[in-house]
Amino acid sequence: MRFDTVIIGGGLAGLVSGISLQQAGQQTAIISTGQNALHFFSGSFESMQEVPKRTLDLFAGAGIRVHYSPGVRLTPLGTFREAALSLEDTSLFPTPRFADKILIVSFAGYLDFFTSFLAEGLEKQGMSCRICVLNLPELEKLEQGPSEVRSVQIARTMDRIWEKVVQEIRALLRDEDTVILPQVFGLQDISVPGRIRQGVPARVVFAGTMPPSVPGIRTQMLLKQRLRVLGGTYLMGDEATRANIVDGKVHSIVTRNLGSHCLEADNFILATGSYFSKGLKTNPFSIFEPVFGLDVEYDEDRNRWYDPAFANDQPYMNYGVRTDAALHGLHKGKPIGNLFVAGSILGNTRPDLGSGAGLAIRSAQVAVDQILSL
Amino acid sequence: MKLQEYTESRHNFEECMKCTVCTAYCPVLQVNPLYPGPKQAGPDGERLRLKDPWFFNYALKYCMNCKRCEVACPSGVRVADLIQSARIRYDHTKPKLRDRILASTDLMGKLTRPVAPVVNGVTGLKIAKSAMDAMLKIDHRRTFPKYSGRSFEAWLRSHEKEQAAFPEQVAYFHGCYVNYNHPDLGKDLVKVLNALGVGVQLLDHEKCCGIAMITNGMSEQATRHAVHNIAVLKKAVVDKGLTVVTTSSSCTLTLREEYPNLLGVDNSAVHDSLLMATRYIYERLEAGAKFRFRTDFHKKIAYHVPCHMERLGWSIFSERLLRMIPGVEFTLLDSACCGIAGTYGFKKENYEASQAVGEPLFEQIRSVNPDIVACDCETCKWQIEMSAGYSVINPISILAQALAE
Amino acid sequence: MTTKDFDVIILGGGITGAGTQRDCAMRGLRTLLIERSDIATGATGRNHGLLHSGARYAVNDAESAEECIRENMILRKIASHCIDETDGLFITLPEDDLAYQQTFVEACRKAGINAEIIDPKLAVRLDPAVNPALTGAVRVPDGSVDPFRLCAANMLDAKLHDGQVRLHTEVTGFIREGDTILGVRTRNLQTGETEEFRAPVTVNACGIWGHHIASLAGVNIGMYPAKGALLVFSHRVNQMVINRCRKPSNADILVPGDTVCIIGTTSTHIPFEECDNVAVTPDEVNLLITEGSKLAPSLSSTRILRAYAGVRPLVSADDDPTGRNISRGIVCLDHEKRDGLKGFITITGGKLMTYRLMAEMATDVVCRKLNVNKTCETAHTPLPGSEERSYEQVARRIWEKPSMAQKAAASRMGTSVSRIGKLDRYDNALVCECEEVSVGEVNDAIERMEVSSLTDLRRRTRIGMGTCQGEFCACRAAGLLAKARNCVEKERSDLADFLQERWKGNFPIGWGDTLREAEYTQWIYKHVLGL
Repeated sequence: MRFDTVIIGGGLAGLVSGISLQQAGQQTAIISTGQNALHFFSGSFESMQEVPKRTLDLFAGAGIRVHYSPGVRLTPLGTFREAALSLEDTSLFPTPRFADKILIVSFAGYLDFFTSFLAEGLEKQGMSCRICVLNLPELEKLEQGPSEVRSVQIARTMDRIWEKVVQEIRALLRDEDTVILPQVFGLQDISVPGRIRQGVPARVVFAGTMPPSVPGIRTQMLLKQRLRVLGGTYLMGDEATRANIVDGKVHSIVTRNLGSHCLEADNFILATGSYFSKGLKTNPFSIFEPVFGLDVEYDEDRNRWYDPAFANDQPYMNYGVRTDAALHGLHKGKPIGNLFVAGSILGNTRPDLGSGAGLAIRSAQVAVDQILSL
Repeated sequence: MKLQEYTESRHNFEECMKCTVCTAYCPVLQVNPLYPGPKQAGPDGERLRLKDPWFFNYALKYCMNCKRCEVACPSGVRVADLIQSARIRYDHTKPKLRDRILASTDLMGKLTRPVAPVVNGVTGLKIAKSAMDAMLKIDHRRTFPKYSGRSFEAWLRSHEKEQAAFPEQVAYFHGCYVNYNHPDLGKDLVKVLNALGVGVQLLDHEKCCGIAMITNGMSEQATRHAVHNIAVLKKAVVDKGLTVVTTSSSCTLTLREEYPNLLGVDNSAVHDSLLMATRYIYERLEAGAKFRFRTDFHKKIAYHVPCHMERLGWSIFSERLLRMIPGVEFTLLDSACCGIAGTYGFKKENYEASQAVGEPLFEQIRSVNPDIVACDCETCKWQIEMSAGYSVINPISILAQALAE
Repeated sequence: MTTKDFDVIILGGGITGAGTQRDCAMRGLRTLLIERSDIATGATGRNHGLLHSGARYAVNDAESAEECIRENMILRKIASHCIDETDGLFITLPEDDLAYQQTFVEACRKAGINAEIIDPKLAVRLDPAVNPALTGAVRVPDGSVDPFRLCAANMLDAKLHDGQVRLHTEVTGFIREGDTILGVRTRNLQTGETEEFRAPVTVNACGIWGHHIASLAGVNIGMYPAKGALLVFSHRVNQMVINRCRKPSNADILVPGDTVCIIGTTSTHIPFEECDNVAVTPDEVNLLITEGSKLAPSLSSTRILRAYAGVRPLVSADDDPTGRNISRGIVCLDHEKRDGLKGFITITGGKLMTYRLMAEMATDVVCRKLNVNKTCETAHTPLPGSEERSYEQVARRIWEKPSMAQKAAASRMGTSVSRIGKLDRYDNALVCECEEVSVGEVNDAIERMEVSSLTDLRRRTRIGMGTCQGEFCACRAAGLLAKARNCVEKERSDLADFLQERWKGNFPIGWGDTLREAEYTQWIYKHVLGL
């Protein structure tokens, strides 16, 4: 099967590339081994202190409501992290002291929303907190199960009964100016967080939970939908196993599901992520990139991969695939002319492109611009 | 291999990172919170079962084997295979009579064929359904598929000579559904392939692929079928050099993946030559073959990807073929499970869950309101026709309808 | 605590100290156990978890072998919920001398160990993980033991007999009058509070730290810290203990325990200063994987969970300060006889599984000094939780159709699981999904088992010991601990400490899936949760 561009990796970098190329008139295909890391999204796009208009347009086109407001985000453990661009339902504050009296609302039996950590962290900043736990019969059935109750299961129920939650909050509210809820709203119905905000007579802040991230799942779902609406192809649950390289250029790639039916394209983008998603693989003696065998920037001495202090920056998390200035992947030092690399697989080899979401978006856009200019 | 150069484990369960994404996408857990969920049933459970087989949880029987957990897993863990293979290894409960009946499609097909009209009439009667509900616990609300009076094999055999005359040949693994219930689909496939200059031949006595036996605790019987089918397939692939095409996504997945992964039956000699017909046809078109389509075929078609097709990753071929037909207004439905899960949805204890799982899909179909729902799986067809009230047709049959005479 | 006077003070909360407290308490003495950190943090928490049949010592140390097999049989009866009766194999590989097998079997028989030569093919059928190239196999009654559970059960039984416990309390000095030890001076490491406790007899059961404690009391015990490194694999590869049938050497035992298996061990002399901070070296990791793969070839392609090391408290046989003449046997020193110091004894050396005998020896000395004439009952009395041997039966009786978490709790707590039997639905929620640990089990541990941190909790419930190494459960457990102790601030640093402790064991084997999991943990805790 033939495409203009084949993108290996269906995460933020892959989706942004695919949507941008599709919009420019290309036929693209994205291959993704399972669901992407946006499922563990914090809600704010890291390393995006400046946001190009094309990025905002891309999100708007997909129906993803974001807001740009440099400041801090409230973390699930009640600390604050710098952020500038985030999803609409992930609040950003100019300073950590953003309220006077706060009502924290959670659900009985939900262990992944850390109310006591939140309260302690907020009180440290001079805000007073009251914690209320709702007992909803609709959630009782979930809790009976032998399985763990995660954000996604609660979110599915919440999409149906959010109005009841709003009523309960209204009844519980005293003189608090802010209500904090867990991010378990708006999984399928993206209007729910906004409507909750309208229904509660106080500011509503949605604070993160332990993954899976409901806003993250929603965001990637919208990005995938956008790609599909634009005519792109998303091959879910497939894995690129190797590449056919002819005369220094990628001719096609082989995938596990399609086997002998190779995917041919003029250009390829490798956005397979880092260790978690197996964009980079490791064994006791090496770190390597499994699809194209691209050069990886890493220390040959395994003992230097780690810092013994967990809290410190870990060297292995900075390793990544080597590229030239135009993000062509390097193979034995030589750039492969039609292969571009984007996203966290770059590690920290391109500090100019930032990290996290910022790296994914910026590198994707560099790759896209390169491809379209050819 | 150097020590620890790579690691291996049964169905890759060691690679599980505990991210729980599989559990988020399990259709069973969404309607039945008492199901442990794929992570607990699969990789979590495997470690405990290795400690003590007592940790095997009989609730694993609620797994529909839809494979969506595997499709969702970012680490490539074969979660569904872990669950099904645990059931095979640890659950030695003798299957009930009902389950044997539901799983023995070959046998049922052969028995009913001579009296098909009577059977079809009876299984539609309320009183018969109530009896089956009471005695066998087959839910009375479930509609039964109709049986054909003449098997597909008999029909194709009667056209053997004319098929053999075609310059190119393929073998066709037709499966129980085409053979006993809906030979028209097989005839449509023959028509479409003939239009490409390809003749169709039968395999040397195929048996039911065995998928229902695997999930109903009859893995020994399923293994006998597997061994037999691989031998038969080898005759076609290795001896005659033929490609073998299929029209059922579940049969295909079973022959290609479940045989080696769950039953330990080696199919490496034939694996790569087993293709869904839509993939085979697409590849021939890519290589230069052409269809002539009618100019008056105007249909609004919504394509539903069956779970096992999603797992195979081949819906792209069916989708592209349908889009090729001029006059087709094509919609790709959001990937969702229809809920029937083969024999699963026939069982009284599962019926409600089945319908609850499929409801979002039915709603979506109603909102799209197509003329036809296209789908490569026969049990999805029964489910959608019964629950949403729309006609469901296999993409091959749609192609056949759309071809110019 | 109101009483400051006791009949006996036991120093050290490892298995020896806990076992001694139990025996003393059961004989009616008023006991106090003082431990610098948490239970089982020394060699008790860092060994192989092997319930020796004694076969390994039969050829060179018949006495040790006899001791082992006797205690092996006793522990199966009194500590059934802490023990997995797996049996063991001693295999001969092509590069080993098969003739040794005969010597080995004869020595076992002499020591009273049931050693049965079996066909190598049968060995492979019994345990498919064993190296199929084996040329000989002997079946012995080895097993595996959970040292945390064993230690906690002993301490619990002591408490049930009115024993008192002081954890996180350091001995800063002894109260000495002339040539008599009257008690100890302590400092609580959590509160800073200093206290004195008095008793006519003090027992030094501090393992390798016993050297330091003895010197505080004014006596010298020649000790030789011998570090042993081990690797935990992510799942249970073998079902029987697999040993090498040859002269004991490095990394020649693979022990299956609970949901994992452990390969060990090595022996390296280290200075005393390193005892509190032992680390596993890359060479040790290589050795363990290489030798381990000879016992069970699949280890070379099995995910490794963590690396850890412990320090053996070996005693010089003749007070030789260089520590060259090592005794691996039980060492019971009555310092009145040995050094002229009254009121002080040391019990050390030995093995995890001979602890009961060591405790008996120590308690006999204590009772003699106190003129108490009571016989030891520890060999016949089941520990709390071990009153019934089958945890399956226990679970079915309480729940009829137990869930996974309930089954797992029964396998960990034995009969004690009835404490969490009829809890409300919130208590059935899972804290640790890898090991199926419920809120109920966690809260029970917090309430009744002296938990002051997440690592303490891990030792008592297996939270964080699964493949995710605390990724998800740490936060949930931290939330429960914070609620129980009403202190969130401390819980934050506790969470960081817990993750650090897990990381320490992960990076020596930080490749493949272990590194993927570590990256995922970094991502979640730093970027998402904001730790």
